[in-house]
Amino acid sequence: MIIDIQGLKFAYTSVPVLNEVTVTIEGPKFVSILGPNGVGKSTLIHCINKILQPTGGTVMIDGESVTDITVKEMAKIVGYVPYSANDSFPLSVVDTVLMGRHPHSTRKSLDSDLDVVYEVLDKLGILDLAMRPFNELSAGQHQKVMLARGLAQEPRILLLDEPTSNLDVRHQLDVAKMLKALSREKDILVIMICHDINIAAKYSDEIILLSRGTIYSTGVPKEVITEKSLREVYGVKSVIIDDDGSPHVILKDSISEAETEEGPVRIAVDREGQII
Amino acid sequence: MNRIEEAKKEYKAAERKKLMLILVFVVLVAITVPITLGFGVYKISLVDSIITFIQHITGNITNPKADTFIWNVRLPRALGAITIGAGLSVAGAVMQNDFKNPLAEPYTMGISSGAFFGVVIVIVSGACIIPGLTGQSAYMVNAFVFSIIPIVLILLVAKFRKVTPVAMILIGIAVMFLFNSISQVMLLASTAENLADAYSWRVGNTSRIGWSELPLLIAVTVVAICLVWTLSRKLDVMYAGDRGAQSLGIRPNRLRIASMTIVSLMTAAIVSVSGTIGFIGLVGPHIARMFVGSNNKYLIPASAAFGALFIAVTDTIAKVTGPDGLPVGVISSLVGGPLFVYILIKCRSKVWM
Repeated sequence: MIIDIQGLKFAYTSVPVLNEVTVTIEGPKFVSILGPNGVGKSTLIHCINKILQPTGGTVMIDGESVTDITVKEMAKIVGYVPYSANDSFPLSVVDTVLMGRHPHSTRKSLDSDLDVVYEVLDKLGILDLAMRPFNELSAGQHQKVMLARGLAQEPRILLLDEPTSNLDVRHQLDVAKMLKALSREKDILVIMICHDINIAAKYSDEIILLSRGTIYSTGVPKEVITEKSLREVYGVKSVIIDDDGSPHVILKDSISEAETEEGPVRIAVDREGQII
Repeated sequence: MNRIEEAKKEYKAAERKKLMLILVFVVLVAITVPITLGFGVYKISLVDSIITFIQHITGNITNPKADTFIWNVRLPRALGAITIGAGLSVAGAVMQNDFKNPLAEPYTMGISSGAFFGVVIVIVSGACIIPGLTGQSAYMVNAFVFSIIPIVLILLVAKFRKVTPVAMILIGIAVMFLFNSISQVMLLASTAENLADAYSWRVGNTSRIGWSELPLLIAVTVVAICLVWTLSRKLDVMYAGDRGAQSLGIRPNRLRIASMTIVSLMTAAIVSVSGTIGFIGLVGPHIARMFVGSNNKYLIPASAAFGALFIAVTDTIAKVTGPDGLPVGVISSLVGGPLFVYILIKCRSKVWM
């Protein structure tokens, strides 16, 4: 699969968020999108799966513009795992994950859909949660269920918004490792937004670093994660050591605003893409 | 693989249990209807009323007076009661689902206040949307037309502006207050007789329902419930929120408009016959949820069955309270309110809040 983004622009009622984003992502691969708060990471993936309409530029998936792909077709191609679903609803875990089968479902497919759901739950090690109500689970369990829903969708491209943010260290490693394995086993393009630079650097095939609404750099972790890039994008002093070939960041200090050239990023955008 | 098979069996067993619970409600409704035939102003024992009912079916009528009461007054009223209960409860379930909000129901969406406003216009000025129409049919036509106004307004706003589901409910509530205050202003200057008329309509009453209203009422309600039930799997996806639903292949606003149109027309048909019976639209789905969960495939039939049972029982109580009786709308809130609070406290974990 190839996602080809050309000159993408996005603005919320005149406040620009993304500006001239041009990048080509080719899979199967495990890609991480990094960048400071409010830089437009979520906006970027919402422009890929058509939840937001760009104000300029084009997004093509395998040569077809996303504006020409119907919502239902899109759901078969691109899966989306939202940032922690804190708005809870009273469905059982099975029924929640079963939603992911909707784009593929027909009137008689319930049984085979259930098979897929249970296999995914087993794979993620949450088979024991199957009959529990979704709104009684912990934040970390929510995240796993949302991940299961995305996997049950069996997409060719899987987008994830901070899938590890509510997990403990061990589960963070497990999920990142699983996402990488998934991209290999199922030949899919996995794109994850991440705030943990070390997790991203350790497992990603490629990193896209965003800064001020546009691409700062892309490439293998070693090229993108440097002391210079972290200083310029995040405004932090750091030391980077080599950990079996992947960069490992040791954070030292934040740089005061006066020292950075252009000051901090001023636009803050929440999870839903609304400006706050 | 064995673990998966076992877990799947557990799911199937839970589904069967939900089906059984719905059946229990349906059986209870089937038991309540013959019982409610024995209650009313005309004294007739429970056994006799059932005998009279059977005699009518077999065509061997021995007590014509009892037969008239049972067949022409009580049976249509009972059938009306279960239809109203089922319809309002399903309307609440679909609205709560569409707006992803446990407070959505025909009342908060402004439907009931619109219907009342339409009726007040007839009572005070005698004017009907269809000129020349008077009496009960004028009430019904006006109630139907005006009850649709709030929902049309909400859906129009949603079509042309980006509004959140919560904002849509707030629009419904705003329209409700607007309609209610205009109704109050119009009633301020009216006669005691008009006030009494408006009051009896306001609180909801099943005593007006006869055979002439039933065919349309039942047809609309049954068709609407079946239609939304076929949408149940799509409606489930709405729990994921608008963005989530879209990423799962649903166009949330389109589904919302479609399902809201269906249940609003049904609610309009119901309130135009019965007046505004409150409470069941809000509480019916919540109680059904406690028994079968929120999967719409089971929630919609369970809401219908529970709503039918609840209104059938409260209507029976309404008839017991005396010749003029308390209106069923009052009884349903009077019985249902404390019951619901009790259930909320008892089974908190299963409730949506």
